[in-house]
Amino acid sequence: MASLPKAGPDKAFQEHVSDGRLWLQYCDDCGEAVFMPRVLCPHCSSLSLDWRPVSGNGTVHTLTVLHQRSKPGQPERQNHAIVLVDLDEGPRMMSRLPEVAPEDIRIGMRVKARIEGKDGERAVVFDPQESDQ
Amino acid sequence: MSTPNGSGLRGSAAIVGVGTAGLGEAPGFNAMDIQALAVREALDDAGLQLSDVDGVFCANMSHTFPVISTIEYLGIQPRWIDGTNTGGSSFVAYAMAASLALQAGLCDVALICYGATLRSGAGRMVPANEQPTYEVPHKPRYPMTAYAMSAARHMSQFGTTREQLAEVAVSARLWAQKNPEAFELGPLSIEDVLGSRMVMEPLTVRDCCLLTDGAGAVVMTRADQARDLKEKPAYFLGGGTASYNRAVSEMPDLTSTAARDSGARAFAMAGMKPSDMTILQLYDAFTINVILFLEDLGFCGKGEGGAFVSGGRIAPGGDLPVNTNGGGLSFCHPGMYGVFTLIEATRQLRGAAGERQAGEVETVLCHGNGITLSHQATAIFGTDATL
Ligand SMILES: [Zn+2]
Repeated sequence: MASLPKAGPDKAFQEHVSDGRLWLQYCDDCGEAVFMPRVLCPHCSSLSLDWRPVSGNGTVHTLTVLHQRSKPGQPERQNHAIVLVDLDEGPRMMSRLPEVAPEDIRIGMRVKARIEGKDGERAVVFDPQESDQ
Repeated sequence: MSTPNGSGLRGSAAIVGVGTAGLGEAPGFNAMDIQALAVREALDDAGLQLSDVDGVFCANMSHTFPVISTIEYLGIQPRWIDGTNTGGSSFVAYAMAASLALQAGLCDVALICYGATLRSGAGRMVPANEQPTYEVPHKPRYPMTAYAMSAARHMSQFGTTREQLAEVAVSARLWAQKNPEAFELGPLSIEDVLGSRMVMEPLTVRDCCLLTDGAGAVVMTRADQARDLKEKPAYFLGGGTASYNRAVSEMPDLTSTAARDSGARAFAMAGMKPSDMTILQLYDAFTINVILFLEDLGFCGKGEGGAFVSGGRIAPGGDLPVNTNGGGLSFCHPGMYGVFTLIEATRQLRGAAGERQAGEVETVLCHGNGITLSHQATAIFGTDATL
């Protein structure tokens, strides 16, 4: 029977990012950064993955804005922007820029990761980098 | 016996019967009801009986075990069943899987079927039970978010315009207007598409497929048996499938799909190239799909799809007819559309498509897309002249 890592990758991700930084898995064998969290490296199948804090710097690769219809008698619903961010370390992730109006987000924008949400449900969101404001 | 590129399957089987039911709205019926009506019509079309069916291929979004529920409802005990669920592409993939099972003698009469009552049932797409864990917290709207992200990237990278996306919707509508069974028949201009309600930038409601009820069924046999049946067989000439990712965030390249590989595999098996195709049936869940698949299947270069569809090239009277039934954008889209590409291909190859018949059709490429640009399946069919 295969031996298990110390913690399941989803749980390990939650534990690591609770310090407010973005952590990724790195493969000891091929050196690639890995996201979403896994027990094996999707680049080389190695089982030897370690968690490391990373810069959190990235670039908006693409975005879309959901236009939500309001129900009659209900307050107007805000448009909701969703992005894919290419991290400088390699992996791509879906995310949001909670502090930026949807119309101000653009492809190519430089962004920095921030950890949001409560214990066990933390997610990675992004803010614009100061040089890009 | 192994053959290069699976070419031993080329021409070995054919679609011999097609049927549809409950297209548009079928209130008071469930998915299995209208699926059974489509199955009976397909078997009648082939001159075969339900008791002849010994192979069943199906998937859906309403049942956890679709193929098992299907055989129970139909009252048959097939020798071979295949419920591989790759989303809406499943049915195009089944054309190859059925040809393989027929050639191996695992079955003699293969049934491919689908039914759904999304419109009169829930009135929305039924989401999959599990969605990508690291995408869900950001509140995407599946499946649309993925296609909108691909479209936005395509526009940014290649200069594709919303007008070019709209051209795909207008072409589909012009075909639908020749199809009395199409759900949307009204006039539609590029300006209408651009001015319709924005749903998920850059896609408006007219860039998105319909949400209808509907069922479709296809019957396949080996080629030798097909020749003795009622209708002109639509021979399976080549097929291919490919998948790289489930989640759009895991897609290696937002503007290139696995259709590059599924298409290349299908052309290799058929011993054909894009210019050998008379018409195409491309799963158009969103307008961007048609542009992506024309590029990835080799009908134009990467990034050139927007220009390619302009000026009515894929519309009635254009150089390359695409989605001659009106497609998922204007004909019908009951959640998974793939089976309807096979049905329209067969009707066009028979020369039996009525007012929308695209002249003398010798070859048809069908392309199915599954989930969120996650799985691609290509199948090429031809008349007996192509054997
Ligand atoms: Zn590795």
